[in-house]
Amino acid sequence: MDAQYRDLMMKRVNRFFGYSLLILTSLILIAPVFFMVISSLKVDAEYLTYPIRVFPSTPQWRNYQLVFIMTPFAKVALRTAVLALSTATLSALISSMVGFAFARYNDVKGNKQLFGLVIAMLIVPFIVILIPQFILYARLKLTNTYWPWILGALAGSPYNIFMFRQFFLNFPKELEDAAEIDGCNPFQIYWRIFLPNAKPVIATVMIFGFINVWGDYLMPSIYLNASKTLLGVTLATAFKNPQGIDLKTISLAASVIYILPLIIVFFFGQKQILKGVVTSGLKG
Amino acid sequence: MESGITANQLERKESGQRTLTRNQRRTLTFYLFVSPWVIGFVLLGIFPLLVGLLTSFTNYDGLNLDTVKFVGLGNYARVFEDPDVSFSLVRTILWGLANLPLWLVLSFLLALILNQDVKGSGFFRTIFYLPSLIPITAAVTAWRIILEKNFGMLNASISRFTPEPVAIGWLSDYSLPGMTSIAIWGGLGYGMVIFLAGLQGIPDELKEAAQIDGANSWQVFRHITLPLMTPVIFFQLVLGLIGSFQQLNLPLLVTKVGIAASSVPPRPIYLYMIHTYQQIFTSGRYGYGTALLWMLFIGILILTWIVFWSEKYWVYSGASEGAN
Repeated sequence: MDAQYRDLMMKRVNRFFGYSLLILTSLILIAPVFFMVISSLKVDAEYLTYPIRVFPSTPQWRNYQLVFIMTPFAKVALRTAVLALSTATLSALISSMVGFAFARYNDVKGNKQLFGLVIAMLIVPFIVILIPQFILYARLKLTNTYWPWILGALAGSPYNIFMFRQFFLNFPKELEDAAEIDGCNPFQIYWRIFLPNAKPVIATVMIFGFINVWGDYLMPSIYLNASKTLLGVTLATAFKNPQGIDLKTISLAASVIYILPLIIVFFFGQKQILKGVVTSGLKG
Repeated sequence: MESGITANQLERKESGQRTLTRNQRRTLTFYLFVSPWVIGFVLLGIFPLLVGLLTSFTNYDGLNLDTVKFVGLGNYARVFEDPDVSFSLVRTILWGLANLPLWLVLSFLLALILNQDVKGSGFFRTIFYLPSLIPITAAVTAWRIILEKNFGMLNASISRFTPEPVAIGWLSDYSLPGMTSIAIWGGLGYGMVIFLAGLQGIPDELKEAAQIDGANSWQVFRHITLPLMTPVIFFQLVLGLIGSFQQLNLPLLVTKVGIAASSVPPRPIYLYMIHTYQQIFTSGRYGYGTALLWMLFIGILILTWIVFWSEKYWVYSGASEGAN
């Protein structure tokens, strides 16, 4: 009885510490986002004060208007969304086709070796390729265009190919055979039977593809000049007064608008995203 | 995978001539389907890598294509003489040491707690993952509120306990801890999700059996959970190592290098990639910059190889069969 009681108490104590730790961690992790939202409603003079005042004296909703007035924010956002969506779609389509071939044609000579190369490309540091790519695109006069994004998407991505291959491996052989007997050619088998059944992977891959372009800073900053740039760069550079001093609270308001679509996508597609992270080791 | 091959072999036995053409047809279809990736791999992967390698043997500066000269291994020799390289390498290693272990331990810990039957674990998981979703530009903007030198939340909070208000440069003189907190904040949810998936793959029977044999929860963790998780830890360690050495975005944004062209990054986070970036984009030393990149590539390959070599000493290999 005594031992049982002690066990129960231990469990309760453990549970208490467990929950405290979880709640504390949640608060710490949410704090920057919370401060971002709250401070986006302040005037710059209130942004940093000593002693700290967390809440603005009067919420400056005008900051959100100024984001759109001071910069072509809506235009850049639309441009970024279109580019992100189209590269995500293109890359998902191509990668699913390539992944299909890797999964279903494993009797073909060279399949294993080629797939080995796909995996090898996952380990090659992206930065080692990105900079020579930039040198090449600059020679071809393709900087300050969106071709680097589109050509990259047309090649598919090793992560996506890997995800689709793993998914398509589990499909029964009979499905393919039946379609073949019905007179489907290989492309039709892929397009009509495998692709429509891969919706979860398509969703995952497209969400990641979108986030990668929407949230990117490095590529637009080296490839595009101000007239064509994407939202990540606008956010980091555009909010200054004529003297070149950062307008902090307005850029915070812009940040809130910037992350809002991602948070919405996350809440709806959470299951797919987390599954995608686990399958591919990909980070959002 | 197996069934596809055997079905094919069967067919081959049935009719010799027709299957040959069928095999050829399948080969053709396969290569047609994978051709976008193969073409991309050659033109956007191998070719740039080789161009980078070629550039690293020249004095190319972006404009002198007509008069470009081969300088042999000159650029590589310079890598070893450049005091900024050794400095930035040390800073990069410090950056990795500050980051990786802390990140691994914290995200593992969170996953362990969430793996217990916690009420609202889905909710906590969502909250923990959220920072991983926030793009680096927005994350840095938000963290400035906390880490800013003058009256940032952190310094203001510390100042409550000190006689004089403090002004610690978490984004300049002490940028290593400052940037580490941003990086860990952004990576914790990602690490947790991966560890959680690994933990959920451990069969309950194993733990129950150990408990029946009288093992306490520490012993269960030490002798069952931890060994079975070593493949996941290994995987995370490899990726984290590669990531640390490539870190560029964060110091770039924190210090606004490249945003204001003249700004010099503070020495505490003058990482290897920052040095490389400066050589290429600020000074136009493409030859030297690509040499730095290739040295990084070789360095990462060696490190990865070392980690893979160490694998047999600490990674439990029996689990991989169950995982497939």
